Amino acid sequence: MLQIGQWLINFYESSVFAYGAILLLIYTMLAIFSFISIRKYLRRESCSDYHDLLKSALSPGISVIAPAFNEGLSIIMNVQSLLTLNYPIFEVLLINDGSTDNSMEQLIKVFELEKVDFAYNPKLHAKPIRGIYKSTNPAFSKLTVIDKINGKSKADAVNAGINVASFDYFVCTDVDCILEMDTLLKLIKPVMEESSRRIIAVGATLRTANSCDIDQGVIIQMKPPSKLLPKFQEMEYIRAFVLGKMGWNLINCIPNVSGGLGLFDKEIAIKAGGYDAQSFGEDMELLVRMCRYSGDNQIKYAVKYIPETLCWTEVPSTIKIFMRQRSRWARGLAQLMYAHFKMFFNPQYGRAGLITFPYNFFFELLAPIIEIVGLIYYLYLWISGRINTEYAVLLLLFVYSYSIMITTIAILWDQITFRYYKSWKDVLLLCATACLEIFLYHPMIVFFSIRGYYYFLTGKKHVWGDMQRQGFGQARKN
Amino acid sequence: MFESPYSFENLDVGQNPTWLNWFLSLPLVIQIAVVSILISTCFILYIQYRIWYIRFKNYIYNKRVKYIVPILDDLITEQIVLKSNASQNQFGEPAFNIPNQIRAEFRSRKYRQIIIDRIIKYQADFTGTIGTEMRNLYMELGLDKVSFRKMKSRKWEKKIRGIRELTNMDILIADVNILPLTNNKRQELRSEARNAYIKLSKNEPFKFFDVTTEPLLKWDQIELFKTITTTENIAIPNFARWVTYSNNKSVVAFCMELIVYYKQYDAAPAVVKLLENKDHLLRAQAINCLGKLKYEQAAPQLVHIYSNQPLNCRLEILKALGRMGNKENVTFLKQEFMYSTDFDIRKNAAKSIVRNSNKQQIDLLMESCTPENQLILKHNLNPLIKY
Repeated sequence: MLQIGQWLINFYESSVFAYGAILLLIYTMLAIFSFISIRKYLRRESCSDYHDLLKSALSPGISVIAPAFNEGLSIIMNVQSLLTLNYPIFEVLLINDGSTDNSMEQLIKVFELEKVDFAYNPKLHAKPIRGIYKSTNPAFSKLTVIDKINGKSKADAVNAGINVASFDYFVCTDVDCILEMDTLLKLIKPVMEESSRRIIAVGATLRTANSCDIDQGVIIQMKPPSKLLPKFQEMEYIRAFVLGKMGWNLINCIPNVSGGLGLFDKEIAIKAGGYDAQSFGEDMELLVRMCRYSGDNQIKYAVKYIPETLCWTEVPSTIKIFMRQRSRWARGLAQLMYAHFKMFFNPQYGRAGLITFPYNFFFELLAPIIEIVGLIYYLYLWISGRINTEYAVLLLLFVYSYSIMITTIAILWDQITFRYYKSWKDVLLLCATACLEIFLYHPMIVFFSIRGYYYFLTGKKHVWGDMQRQGFGQARKN
Repeated sequence: MFESPYSFENLDVGQNPTWLNWFLSLPLVIQIAVVSILISTCFILYIQYRIWYIRFKNYIYNKRVKYIVPILDDLITEQIVLKSNASQNQFGEPAFNIPNQIRAEFRSRKYRQIIIDRIIKYQADFTGTIGTEMRNLYMELGLDKVSFRKMKSRKWEKKIRGIRELTNMDILIADVNILPLTNNKRQELRSEARNAYIKLSKNEPFKFFDVTTEPLLKWDQIELFKTITTTENIAIPNFARWVTYSNNKSVVAFCMELIVYYKQYDAAPAVVKLLENKDHLLRAQAINCLGKLKYEQAAPQLVHIYSNQPLNCRLEILKALGRMGNKENVTFLKQEFMYSTDFDIRKNAAKSIVRNSNKQQIDLLMESCTPENQLILKHNLNPLIKY
């Protein structure tokens, strides 16, 4: 019995060691891949002229879908901001998902909307539409407002938008996100540059807008967040997008396109069944389903990412809201792994089945559980005096310095790419935040993820709109 | 006094230092961890330096721009914009009166790219005499040589930059230098070379259509389309030639776009032949092209093939018939509108019917159709709804 116990302990320790070593190697690989990917992107960008696309009648049309629920504080300004995007052929589909505030009244008044007889053909499941509105003012001819019954999820609202969308590509965003003027031009470019594979989705980097100077829906000056929690998230976003997504981009293994901003192939999205209203991670779920559909139908596809920040969003600034958000994401991940487990190491789905899905399973889903179990085991060893303090300190120092190095590399890549922050001090402070991450931010993420998994297992109810925002409604200069 | 057990003072002659002994006594995994800590720390410091260096370089560049651009702007205002006869100097005299010191600065490595970019910007903003003067200034400063040197670089992005600069400044590039690049492996270079060839070639600007084996990407097509449709004094050929003979589908598809743009009605019979093509995407584009040309002769054939086509081609046929605007077509469109089970078919048929019917006819149709079809008709009748 003792031997079996010893064998189990040895097995556990070896497994955790191998797990940690592989994870560190993956991060190193991502750092190298992202550098290559970003360099490639910058070289190509230096030769690109977006003016041709902007004036061309050959540009493919794009539907911009923005669902809104009780966003009365900033809805007018955000719609105005969407209407000023630089692109020759596009429409803005704003979905008022049964808001209980005065969003709809404001929209009707400001944009001179009129209810129209719209031939609505639902290809994707969504709650019934109460009315579709168009503006009588030609200045807002690109705007269509869809007033629908609340579907209790963003997915339901976006599905209604896809049903109304006129063009072959749609961009999904949140109405409270601030998009760069050239967002559509930059997102469609990777689609137009590929002939051998079908580009089913394109994503771009998201950043936090919490402390930026914003006026009339336009970022005047980019600044890293001043509060610690948003600052941690900014650092995490840079690492996840610039290093993570761009690294995966090189080998066509992007795990998800953020719900804040993504361009999708409408035909594939519809055939894959659209957004799942029951999912808590609807953005990732849609992409996985699109990949799965493509794999099932032998469609050669690719998902692309661009390192440029095209979308600015407000991130949670209080622990309570942050906890809700992260628990929801974790729950969504668990749901997704459960629903699409068929893809796990399934060669039929190519890289999505052999690399992306297993990576998400082992290093995203299981990571918080392994960490918690490891921590408990570590404490037990420490209390029972079975830890060599010298070695333990060295190993912890190793992990600590490695994590800071990876974050600093991500910030460097970001600086190489676009240098969003005016002051060097801002960059230095962001790097310094990485030193605190392991002690303050990371434990929170682990705890909130475990909470999400618990809710997944117990099936706790959840409502859309839990992310209370300050809004960018007024000119906000810090 | 405290003495470190790992310091060199403890080194006995002929023995390893104690810190090395300590290191060697560690298990391999811990040794790797120790080395990694050192590497990570050095790397973090190096990255900090790189971040600072990148920002410093940018600062220096901005400083250079701030210094040199006003000098160039003043020179251009004084000698080109205000004095439009700058080029009418006596033979042998320099066209521009640029002090030697400034001339040297303009040519210096640190400023010349800024100068090139600025002159190109002016060239794009001005036409006529001022545009020509910009070109003269560019040549007088010897910047064309710099661009030609870039064209010979081994780096593809530098080559592109060189080609772009020369094309923007309307400097002739020999066919022998540019034509091979139109089939280059690198898509960006290929695309740039094709644009330059069309813009600058005096003989057969569309020659590369015959030789191109690589597909014309959508992005390339947009750039080419702009170049072809905006370049002055370019002889536009009949694109039916490539629609008929080219084996490159993307060239055929692109030529159909040009046929529509230039309203090459003569090319329509060649497009009609594509209705038998096996590729349904190409067929759909051919139908679209015929519709936009309003080539009524093709209508009976479109109606004839309709039932054997996939959905995308059917929708294009309905749109094309609407554009052609023939009464016989309306009968067919009504039939599809009334009896098709597919929503998109009814919607597109209704759109074409609305285009070709008066109010009385629409009212009559409205009375005879289902509530859903009535809604589709209303949708198409509403001027606020575009699509």
